[in-house]
Order: sequence, then structure tokens, then C-alpha cells
Amino acid sequence: MTLARPLATKLFPIATALAAALVLAGCTPSGTTSDASSDPGSPVTGGNLVYASGDAEPSCLDPHVGGNYPQALVASQYLETLYTKDAEGKLIPWLAADSTVSDDGLTRTVSIRDGITFTDGTALDAAAVKANFEHLLDPKTASSTGYLALGKIASMKAVDASTLELKLKTPDNSLLESFSMPWVAIESPTALKRTQEENCAAPVGTGPFKVQSWKKQYSVQMVRNADYVLPVAGAAHAGPAYLDSITWRFIPEAATRYAALQAGEVDIIDNAQPDAIATAVKTSTIKHLDAPRPGASNRIELNSSKAPFNDEKVREAFIHAVNINASVDSLFFGSAKRSYSPLSSVEPLAYSEESLFNYDPTKAGTLLDAAGWSERDAQGYRVKNGVRLSLTFPVSTSQSIPAEQSLFEQIQATAKESGIEVQINLLDISSWYGELFTNSYNLVSAPYTKVGPGVLSILFHSDSTIPAPSGYFANLSQVKDPALDALLNTAGSTKDEAQRKDLYTQAQKKVLEGYYLLPLYDQQNHFLYSEKLKNVGATTAVASPIFFDTWLAN
Amino acid sequence: MSTHLAKLPRLLAAALLLFFLLAAIAPNLLAPVDPLAIDPAAAFSAPGPGHLLGTDESGRDIYSRIIHGARSSLLIGAAATAIGLGLALVLGTLAGFGGRWLDFGVGRILEVLFALPGLLLALVFIALAGPGVTTTVIAVGLTWAPGYARMIRAQIIALRSSAMVEAATVLGRRRSRILLVHILPNALAPLAVLATLGLGQAILWAASLSFLGLGSPPPAPEWGTMLSAGRTYLSLAWWMTFFPGLAIVLVAAAATVLSRSMKAGGSR
Repeated sequence: MTLARPLATKLFPIATALAAALVLAGCTPSGTTSDASSDPGSPVTGGNLVYASGDAEPSCLDPHVGGNYPQALVASQYLETLYTKDAEGKLIPWLAADSTVSDDGLTRTVSIRDGITFTDGTALDAAAVKANFEHLLDPKTASSTGYLALGKIASMKAVDASTLELKLKTPDNSLLESFSMPWVAIESPTALKRTQEENCAAPVGTGPFKVQSWKKQYSVQMVRNADYVLPVAGAAHAGPAYLDSITWRFIPEAATRYAALQAGEVDIIDNAQPDAIATAVKTSTIKHLDAPRPGASNRIELNSSKAPFNDEKVREAFIHAVNINASVDSLFFGSAKRSYSPLSSVEPLAYSEESLFNYDPTKAGTLLDAAGWSERDAQGYRVKNGVRLSLTFPVSTSQSIPAEQSLFEQIQATAKESGIEVQINLLDISSWYGELFTNSYNLVSAPYTKVGPGVLSILFHSDSTIPAPSGYFANLSQVKDPALDALLNTAGSTKDEAQRKDLYTQAQKKVLEGYYLLPLYDQQNHFLYSEKLKNVGATTAVASPIFFDTWLAN
Repeated sequence: MSTHLAKLPRLLAAALLLFFLLAAIAPNLLAPVDPLAIDPAAAFSAPGPGHLLGTDESGRDIYSRIIHGARSSLLIGAAATAIGLGLALVLGTLAGFGGRWLDFGVGRILEVLFALPGLLLALVFIALAGPGVTTTVIAVGLTWAPGYARMIRAQIIALRSSAMVEAATVLGRRRSRILLVHILPNALAPLAVLATLGLGQAILWAASLSFLGLGSPPPAPEWGTMLSAGRTYLSLAWWMTFFPGLAIVLVAAAATVLSRSMKAGGSR
């Protein structure tokens, strides 16, 4: 690449600062980098943390229902999971004490920790966990993420108070990883018996905080769970959380959110914008937490189920016609690194193939000519049999930050040079889902967070073209390849770790070489917070922050 | 000398409107650079010799985008004003010349429309019809109609009792003839002033709606959309917001100054 990169040069000091933070952040969970490297002093109890979220306000606070990232962020404060990841990124039991699997891989036994109660007084036991799984698998719950994660479970039985036995349809080596996600978090079975509306308003869990009230369109108020018991000693301090309460506000507008942080009106913001991060890291009053999400990378899916992307040559041509690197460099100020993999860089089994994704308009032109798109119309777009080479690209305004929308506009402008028309439709989330349901898209970018490489089956297995109870299907490139299905099936069920890695690598190669997706970067998950907030950096397995150990300096 | 000075704002306003009119008719004449051409390496360039008014996050030339955006902004403004005035003319005439019951009926409809804030009315319309340029134009036009209609009605009622209409009635002229020959021409003259004033306001409104993401889709250069996009980078690249905002203010102010001076000229 011989691109002029003036911004990268300008931003060099920031990059070094970030790199330094990376090295120093050895005490925070894997994959996350935080500037909080200095000794925070001795913890202070009390205070109210104000969190400002840029995501759309969840319509339900129970992450079992639907199951998206905004739900996971807030639910991580009041719900806990059976498994989690420790500071080194290793999967460890949390509400579960241990788990074993039979030789044929079809029976999984989970033992549940003793001495933990939900905030409504109900005790945590095997029957409680069973009730949660049943809730997730019940079509009336309309779960998509949790439902897919538990899809292999055929039946379950609470053998005794602390032992749950799961019979599986086929072996599933990612089940424990699935258990670590907030969408499969464990709630009080007593509370789950309420109506869905009641449970959505105030789910009951075992977490360090509990939901007190929810003022719709404004904020969720959470208070400390005074009886909190840390399931694994030594992971953090014992006893209840330092903070008295958390106010979880919704401020969708990025500049307003950042201004609120600067003014001290809020203590921490999510969805921090690249330019704000670049400015903030230069100050001493605002700190930065970078916690890339696990699972899939952020990517654009190419819908292979209909013209023109049912022709592999056209998919390949499109990928070579757009210059992603130049855009990422200029729009993200060094806060995002280009990805060449279907998986997030925090996934140990991620496989990258940079050579497939170079910007090469000449090659794109040759491929399109060969595919029969050789004529041009008056506006310079390619035409075949009187039809213009036009791609519909619905973009959800609540799922993409302004920098990403600018990136899409740049893709549009660069693709035009190769004679490809890209029509960007900015839509609210429900209209956006509507476009997916009716297959009215050629390009789409949909984040998908999951722990472990099992996300590949969700995104690329032909089964995933069938909608979940919520109506969502995740295989948006609509790959239907029996050979790939077979690879993914074996990779997901083998007990041999080396074979698992090998098969997932082959599967990733297959989707990359088939040009079904255009990887962009990791799913961005940047937080900016006031330096008064200490001990920020602990996260769940899906990189959503936990404020159990956090305290507010006076 | 003092009369020359007094004319200065008027001349400036006229010159500005002419400039933007030229931009709307032949943008390539004033700004040869493609307003959609991106150059990521030159993103966020400050105003300077290469880019007169700087560049945006994709390295697109702001000056070029403002000039090329003039057409849609002025067109939206003009079309919305035309729709508003047209609708108002019908309603106002019905109320002012259609007799007691029509006056009563139209009056109540106007009051209901007045009860809703204009922007809300426009938003409701857009929510029903879906966002886009045409919808924006109609929405803005609709919100302006009640105000204009009242003014037209008042004009007509005043003219109805004027000496010339009384004379025509005494002479036995038909009502339709009185309306067409005597009332409407005289009622319309002040409308020219209103229309110019409305043009500026309509551009502002259209920009507000695009700012909310309800106008032309990206990457079309539209002033309100540019303003909205620049807002994200306000602390980093002020020129992305300042210049489109300046264009909106200049056109709206110029139209207002011109309409004021027309009004002053008319009453002299």
C-alpha cells in the first residue's frame, strides 16, 4: 500500500499512548485495554454512578427476550451467568461450580454453586437454572440470541438441588462458552413466573445491583444488592459493591453524550466516537476503556441468495472495488484496526486472510467484464441485459455510529468509480429488520456478539437462514453450502481441541474465499469515563463492563 | 447619500439571492469540484487554499457541497412556499368570500391546524408518508398554509367592504367577476411580500427536517443534512457545521430583508 496517511502520522503519539496502556493494563480482563494504570488509592464506599448509553433503549430489561447488546450492557449489573471469563480470558465457572460431559458428548452435567440467593430471596439451585433454560427455549419468550445458544439441548433434568443434567441432540463443544453470555444469564424462577411485561420491567438476578425503577425514555435506576455474595473468591473484593447505586441513562446523540461527560453530568459513556477518543486520551480528566466484543468481527455481508451477488465473480469484484483501509485510517483516528477475519480479534481461533481483500479497481473491472457487466449507462454504472448493477444497502441508524455511516458513504463513492451503484437507506431498527425479513438487501452490516468460534455456525450454517422465534435469522449472507455445514457441524461437536481449531480455520477460509463477507474491524466497544471513577475495566465474557469493584473518588 | 446607504442591505440581499440562484441553476460554474468525490486522505482539512471552506469527514469539499446543495434547498423552499400559498389561497378565499357558513367551517379547520405546532404537523405528515424530499416539501407547505390562509381571508374581508367592491356590487356585477377582477388581484399583491418572507422560513424548516434525518438521503449535498453530519465533529472541524449553517442563515436573512423592503416600498 502506498497510500498517503497524514492522519496516521498526526496520531502517532496517541497510538503510542494506547500501546503503553495496553502493556500496563495487565490486571484487566483479556482483550480490554484501559488507561487506568496508576494506583487508584483506597476504595470509597458510596455514591451514585451515572452511565450514559448511546444505544437504543432496550424495550425489555430481561436479556432472555430478544437478546441484543444494549440489553447485555445493562443486565450485566443485575444478572450473573453460569460461566464467565477471567482476567486472562480463560473460561471459568461462576454461578456453576463445575461441569462434565459424557464420552459421547451427548450428556452434559452442570453442578450449581451453593449459598447464592436471588435478590427476591429465592435460592439458586438446579431447578432454578432449568426454569431459566426452559424460559429461553419457550417460543413465547421470543428469544433469539439465548435461544440459538441453547439450541442443542434436547431435554433437561434437575437430578438434585445442585446437579442439572442436559441431554443434547448433538454434541456441542461451545455450550460452556454460551453459558458465559448475559443472554443466558440466570434469573429468579419466582420472578420468571410473572408476566413477561412485569419481568421485562425489573428482572431479578443474583448480581451486585438490582433494578429499582425504570423511567422509560430516560433512565434505569439500580441500587446495591446489600446481600451480594461473590461466587468466586479472590476475583474481586468480598461483600457488596462499593457504589450505592447506578443511574443508567440513554443519551443517543454522540456529541451530547460526550459533552455530558466533559461537564461531569455523567461519569461514563459508551459508544464513544473515534474523534472524541482521540481528544480524550490527551486529557488527564477523561480515561478510555477499549473492550472489543467477542464473536464476529464487524463486517458487511454480501447477500448471495439473489442477483447480482449470486454470482461469486460479482462478490469478488465488489470487494476489490472498495477501499476500506483508507476510510478506516481517516475516520477512526487509530481507534479501530482493520480486520480480515469473520471472527473478532479477541477470539483465539480467529483466522485472517489479508490477501483476499486488497483494493484493486482494475481487477474488479476485469471480473465484472467477465461476469457480463461490461456495458455502462449514461451515469457510468455498469449494465447487464438492461439492468443496472445496483446494490441495496439498508443501514440501521441505531446500530452504526456516524463514523461507520461515513465509511459506508465512502464505499458508495469508491464503488461508483468501478460502475457499481450502492443505495444506502438509513432506517430505524424496525424498518431495517423489515428489509431483512423481506430479503430486500444486497449488502448489510449486522453486529453479532457471541463467546467463542461457535458464532460461525450461527452466521454461516444453512440452518441459520431459518428465522428464530423472534423472526431474526443471522446467516445474512445466506450461504447454503453442504460442505461448509458439514465442517461447522463437526467443528462444533468434536472433543478434540486441535481438530476444533483446524476445522474452524477451514470454515473461515471457505467463507472468506467465497467472498461472502467484507470484514471491517472488531465490533467497537469504547468507553470514556471520568478519572474520578476508579477500578473500571472488569468485564463480562462479552466485554460489557461490570461496576462491582468500581468506586467513585470524592 | 443617506438613501444610498439605506439601499445597501437591500442590494446585498439581492446580490446574495442572485448568487445562490446562480448556484442552483448552474452549480458547476461556481464550483467545478464534484461534491460527491471523496478523498479520505484529505479528510477534515481546515479551510485554506486547497479547499476554500475545508473538507468533511470523507474529504469532500464543503464549498462545492454548499454550492451544489443550493438547488435542493432553494427548490424545497420555493416549492414549499408555493404549496403553502396555493392551499392558503383556496382556504382564504373560501372563508373570506364564501359566505358565513363556509367562513365558519374553514375558520374551525384553521384553528385546529393552528393548535398543533408547525413542526409537529410536519413530523406527523412525514411519519405517515415516509421521509424524502417530496414529503418534506409538502410537509413544510402544509404547516405554512393556515397562517397564510388567515391573512388572505383578512385581506379579502377588508376588500369586500371597500368602495370599489361596493361600487361593483351596486352596478350589478356577478360575484365571480368581482372576486376575479377586483378582490383577488388586490389581495395577491401583499402575497408577493409574504412569499419572499416565506421562502427564507421554508428553507430554514426544510433544513431542520433534513437535520433530523427526514430529508434527502446521503450522500446528497443538502444544507440541513450537512449541518447534522458536522455536528458529530463540532469540536474537531467547526467548518463542517459553520459554513452550511452560514448558507442557511444568509439565504433566510436575505429573503427576509428583501421582503421587508418590498413591504416598505409597497406601503409608501
